[in-house]
Amino acid sequence: MNYMEVLQLAGKIIMENGGEIYRAEETVTHMGEGFGLREVECFAVPSGLFISYRGEDGNPVTAVKRVRRLSRNLTRVDEVNTVSRKVFSGKMDCDHALRMLRRIDALPGAFGGAWCIPAAFLCAAGFAAIFGAMWLSIFVSGLVAALVQAAETLIARFRSRGLAASVLGGLLTALLPNLLSLPLPSLQVELVIAGAVMPLVPGLAMTNAVEDTMRGDMVSGLAHGAQAILTAFLIAGGALLAMALFRLMTGGGI
Amino acid sequence: MIWDELIRAVAGTFFGAVGFAMLVHVPKRSLLASSLIATLSYVVYWGFLQLGFSEWSSVFMGSFCGSLAGLLCARRMKIIGTVFLMSAVVPVVPGLGLYRMMAFFGQSRITDGAAMGIRAMILIAMIALGLGAGSLLDRMIHSPAHRHASRAPGQEDASLRK
Repeated sequence: MNYMEVLQLAGKIIMENGGEIYRAEETVTHMGEGFGLREVECFAVPSGLFISYRGEDGNPVTAVKRVRRLSRNLTRVDEVNTVSRKVFSGKMDCDHALRMLRRIDALPGAFGGAWCIPAAFLCAAGFAAIFGAMWLSIFVSGLVAALVQAAETLIARFRSRGLAASVLGGLLTALLPNLLSLPLPSLQVELVIAGAVMPLVPGLAMTNAVEDTMRGDMVSGLAHGAQAILTAFLIAGGALLAMALFRLMTGGGI
Repeated sequence: MIWDELIRAVAGTFFGAVGFAMLVHVPKRSLLASSLIATLSYVVYWGFLQLGFSEWSSVFMGSFCGSLAGLLCARRMKIIGTVFLMSAVVPVVPGLGLYRMMAFFGQSRITDGAAMGIRAMILIAMIALGLGAGSLLDRMIHSPAHRHASRAPGQEDASLRK
């Protein structure tokens, strides 16, 4: 039985899809114990995980798994958690767990591809309403967020998601409302941008930073915190660039 | 007037949170609950503001109540807590403050931008504190030792037998 493959896959899916580091460590350890392995240890950092257990011959078995892809799919994390619970309670064996994990790894998002665009619209429009925007501005805010999401989906196909996507997201989010304010002078540009930027907020990284820190994992907590701050700065950088561009386009100075 | 504002806050947060939750692909069965948690978090924040509390303490209370309710929901529904905690956090993120900071910097108003940035950072720290406090309290309440102590003598806790 290839226990190591199952443990690696479980940890990898959690870390690649926005789960906390402590969750990956606990899941791997619990699953190992559920398989009846002895001295199961897992040490994870945001870019990889190390797993070790005592083999049937008494020698330690150790492996390292690099984590490269970073996406946000909490359904996959939740499904792995369910598998882990079943393995720990003895309701699922190694082969079945491996089949399930492979299926989970290939699972599309709960709200696949095209759903992300209306989701971004809803998110931005909702938050623009909270900020006090009028109907026109609420609609435009949703529209801008939907366009930004469509652009992000497009560049994700070229595997350049991440930092570049944050800058582009910030740039488009600030540029489009400013351009639209030329034919629509009553547009509340500030509120439109504030609403449209909400789908880009690194809420998951912030939550993970707090959760990992609370569990005493300072390295992972700081790494997730730094990721959240860096993302926010890149979005802000993109938006500043957009403002400078708009001033240049409308005849003002940079 | 205050009711209009409340309805706007409730509806805006609910739909905004539904959209955000869909973007991170939360499990479908948690979509409604996570959006309601987000709404609770914002309504608590808004309520404390109306009662005259400072913005910092209101943000703290919003994320604290949201995280407690979220973790309770996670246990009941057997869904990872991240889904609900993230929803509790997003509505109280100072998005407008961060935008204004950026706009001030863009206009070379460095002092105003720095002041707005510091204010936004303090609010983010308050969110983290509220989330952490909620998480800590939840673990204290649900720790096996606490459950064992709160039982009548002779009653055994199943989780301690593992």
